[in-house]
Amino acid sequence: MSDTALASRPLTPAAKVPALRRRRFNAYRAVQAACMLIIALVIVSPLFLLAVASLKDDRFQILADMGTFRAFWVSNPTLNNFAEVAHFSGELAFGRYLLNSLIILFCTVVGGLVVNSMAGFVLAWGSLRGRAVVLAIVIALYVIPQESIIMPLVIMVSRAGITDGFAVQIVPWIASPLYTFLFYQFFAQLPKDLFEAAEMDGASVFRVYRSIFLPLSLPALATVSILMGIEAWNQYLWPILVTQTDYARPISVAIATFFGQDSIFWDRAMAASVLMMLPILAFYLAFQRWFVSSFVGSAIKG
Amino acid sequence: MSIPSAGAASAVAKPQPARPKGRRRDRARLFQEMGMLAPAVILMTVFLIAPFILSFWTAMTNQPLVPRPTPVRFVGLANFIRIFNDPLFWTALWNVTRFTLWIIPVQCGLAFLTALLLHQKIPFRNLFRGLFFLPAITSMVVVCVIWATLFQYPTGPFNQILGFLSFGTIQPIDWLGDPNWAMVSIVLLSAWQAYGFQMIIYLAGLQGISEELYDAARIDGANALQRFWHVTMPGLRPTHVFVLVITTIQAFKLYTQVAILTQGGPKNSTETVVHYMVRIGYEEQKLGYASAVSVILFLIVLVIALLQRFLLRRYDV
Repeated sequence: MSDTALASRPLTPAAKVPALRRRRFNAYRAVQAACMLIIALVIVSPLFLLAVASLKDDRFQILADMGTFRAFWVSNPTLNNFAEVAHFSGELAFGRYLLNSLIILFCTVVGGLVVNSMAGFVLAWGSLRGRAVVLAIVIALYVIPQESIIMPLVIMVSRAGITDGFAVQIVPWIASPLYTFLFYQFFAQLPKDLFEAAEMDGASVFRVYRSIFLPLSLPALATVSILMGIEAWNQYLWPILVTQTDYARPISVAIATFFGQDSIFWDRAMAASVLMMLPILAFYLAFQRWFVSSFVGSAIKG
Repeated sequence: MSIPSAGAASAVAKPQPARPKGRRRDRARLFQEMGMLAPAVILMTVFLIAPFILSFWTAMTNQPLVPRPTPVRFVGLANFIRIFNDPLFWTALWNVTRFTLWIIPVQCGLAFLTALLLHQKIPFRNLFRGLFFLPAITSMVVVCVIWATLFQYPTGPFNQILGFLSFGTIQPIDWLGDPNWAMVSIVLLSAWQAYGFQMIIYLAGLQGISEELYDAARIDGANALQRFWHVTMPGLRPTHVFVLVITTIQAFKLYTQVAILTQGGPKNSTETVVHYMVRIGYEEQKLGYASAVSVILFLIVLVIALLQRFLLRRYDV
């Protein structure tokens, strides 16, 4: 049937002459590969320029080089810029800011994993009355953007006197409708027998969650860690509103502040930017597959 | 429950959905469940629901940032009236609309193109995907530092490339300093930073289209373009809607890039709704007024999200 259909269409050369088809396919592939390479170059070159510039010593040279091909090359690479900015006190305490950001990231992610996964588990398998209502509220809350609650939140934390520290940058963002929902979704699709078998053995709800469901939920844990981690790492608006001193200032705010000065020390700005990029890049290289799948995971709900 | 163990099982643990009355273990279990749910519920109530409700209340007061001796007054809709009479607010709203109209074709187009390329069977596909995704994990602050050098006037890379391609006929552009170009610059760097996310969504969408549909189209003699138009595009319709809505919501919340690179200037050409809100709330210290802006922002996002629900329900399911 399909053979006759193909034979009756002499206009499709691919069907008639296999050899021709293969050659055309290769040319097509070459064009494809060229496209890929060009796009990849365009996409990646800004990051490459950043890395190269951070290794140059002369801050005036960095700008002068930018418009030329020398921007892609450094003749005598040096780590001086990093040594200059990576202090733990003083004006260029980017080492400290980096550490602050890491602390905030770590606490937010760990707290978020515990709190949101417990809630997601109860919503999926608990027997509490009104679970469905709580779930509906959680989904509805997802629509509220951070930007639109940030002003009243500033009033709240300043009245409570908890501005300018680590807690104020961590605690408000631990519980999240999106991540609770992601955990709920993940737990809900695990087989019911798991839960019932454990219950029969007399395990408490928490035990079932802790020793049966949690070990099975590595994909969900990875997804939520990555999404929360990126979010915490990139926080900018909230920390500029609540941090006044450099005690708990994250590196994002520190770079922006440094960058906002009248005469920019490009060498230092570049080095600080690379510092900020490094931890997340290391995670990315180690867990690339997870990164990609976690972004898909965050988009599942409509 | 499967049949063999049914008798024994129902004697010990009754099936959950049915809720028999009065059991001691149930009590303990409920308490435990409440304990597990409580942290999330409390944190969300305090840091999400409370400020959300508070924003509607503060929006109708003259709440300052720093407490003053005079009590906070209820001013009704005065803040909203002031906002709607402020030309700068309309400029900000128009700017984010303009930004949205620019960023949708640029960012989604780039995402779609790269996704289509990555979906082909091509050598080093994972490597390319990894590279294409790099900007998405780059912090916006870092992106601003890099792109500020790319945009340098008059000898930055972009101006050099333009001059080279046009044999010097195009004059260097003051990207971030010219009111006509500042928003375009913001669009370019934002699209570069964020397209990776949409790319991944598109890739997932492409993988969701059954290979059989392509085979069927091939048997019917459809060429590559026809297959793209009649199989790929309809198959991606829900993905398109989702990507469009996500990009739009993101666009209306535009803030960081603008705050770092242009502070809303030059001549307010990059003033955005969130930047306007922060300026009023933080620099002018009028939190009541700023809360009114945040209520408006929420309503905008809500409308877009509801639109997505509606559209997805029409096209999907």
